Amino acid sequence: MLRKTLTEDSFYLNLGPQHPSTHGVLHLLLKLDGERILECKPLVGYSHRAHEHMGQNRTYLQFLPNTSRMDYLGGLCYNHAYCLAVEKACGIEVPERARYIRTVCAELNRISSHLLWFGAYLMDLGAFTPFLYAFDDREDILAILGEVTGSRLTYSYCRFGGVNRDLNQNFLDGTKAFIPKLRKRLKDYRTLVTKNIIFLNRTKGIGTVSAELARDWALTGPNLRACGVAYDLRRAEPYSIYPELEFEIPTATAGDCYDRYWVRMAEMEQSLRIVEQALGRLPEGPVKAAGVPQWIQPPAGDYHFSYESPRGHLGIYFVSDGGRVPLRMKWRTPSFSNLSILSEILPGTLVADTIAILGSIDVVIPEIDR
Amino acid sequence: MNAVVRYLRDVFSGAWSLAMGMSVTLRYMFKPVSTVQYPREAMPLPEVYRGHIELRRFAETGSHGCVACGECFRICPSGVIKVQGLKEEADRPNRAVFYFIDFSRCSLCGLCVEVCPESALAFSKVYEEVGVSRYSTVVDLIARLESQGA
Repeated sequence: MLRKTLTEDSFYLNLGPQHPSTHGVLHLLLKLDGERILECKPLVGYSHRAHEHMGQNRTYLQFLPNTSRMDYLGGLCYNHAYCLAVEKACGIEVPERARYIRTVCAELNRISSHLLWFGAYLMDLGAFTPFLYAFDDREDILAILGEVTGSRLTYSYCRFGGVNRDLNQNFLDGTKAFIPKLRKRLKDYRTLVTKNIIFLNRTKGIGTVSAELARDWALTGPNLRACGVAYDLRRAEPYSIYPELEFEIPTATAGDCYDRYWVRMAEMEQSLRIVEQALGRLPEGPVKAAGVPQWIQPPAGDYHFSYESPRGHLGIYFVSDGGRVPLRMKWRTPSFSNLSILSEILPGTLVADTIAILGSIDVVIPEIDR
Repeated sequence: MNAVVRYLRDVFSGAWSLAMGMSVTLRYMFKPVSTVQYPREAMPLPEVYRGHIELRRFAETGSHGCVACGECFRICPSGVIKVQGLKEEADRPNRAVFYFIDFSRCSLCGLCVEVCPESALAFSKVYEEVGVSRYSTVVDLIARLESQGA
């Protein structure tokens, strides 16, 4: 673990690749002076599975199951984003009902992703109870989504031109019961965690990122909004049915760990609002566009699509030569940029704060490496 | 004096926040248990649960309806499926006599089930898959259908 260097004062510490608080195989090389960090170097690539290359040697539809495996916590959001990108390229019109269903499912997925982050983050900070409560709530969402998608984590639910299956009564009843339940739970979380003195002392003023710094390092998602920049792709570059829905973009000002926590908690409430509204206006009709070919062939050219994933800006770029297989596939995943800022904000902090900061930026390692 | 007051206020508000947190925990202590004792209790599976695929039994023929067209084999992203058909009667379509899947590479996307023109495939509800070698993940679907009885 420890390696003595030439100067007696500083030494290197390897945090990871198997440290329990790195949520995966992430390697942080820390140069320390006692407890204080002088330098941090995130080393990534341990769970690289060449998803982009896989996209280049299989057809568009065959790549669909891969998308939910990049970010295993936001699988449905990634399915949704990929389908929207390909539909944009081919000019496929999606039926109204399918657009609503996709949005409802993606927002539920966003809540489940934030809930898991909430539990895991507090576990990193040493609180065990919220973890169990959060997983209890998340279990409800997974059961609801399982009722309609048939799977709990890697959904493969969206299809080009719609969704795989229509919503059933179990889903509608489950969601209706779940929304008030989670609202009550969020109130409990506020008493249990948000006002907790130990939590406040460990997160307030720790890992502060200014808005300029966040822009320089291309921070997106809740991490950027915690710095006071109200940038949300659901509003900035609206897609699907988001322009028709009412929701706010929660922002904070200080950009520290507490603010990043607070923004995510507020986002869950907004997502609940979106789900409620969308289910209230769910139109009737088909859930899949007719006449979408099995072997989809976008016209030659390059296409880009931006999506607000639970962790930030997800960019999908692909080049088509008019054939069944894309010529080039590139995914801009948010965690990669969000992680890079560690080398900027960690120097000067303590080792114990490293865990608080690393947890607060919410990285999913398989998404960084792809 | 001011510093002392502030210090005491911090101590009391901190202790109060911990007490409030504890009250939430205590309240949950008397709520019903949400854990499922897994090997002894089973979770109810959703109707659309996606286990590995299996051949459906058709009541009219008492057997499967696969005509070995190879659509599932072509659409599978991971090359999981191997299917071979035999022409048993000249004026009837082919009939699959050989249908193997390698479950270890299956990503359970369900494209094969969707694409099947004969609706011959369905998802099984199997989720307890344990084997001693990687060959035990290879499933002979026709033998599986026959072993399940009519």
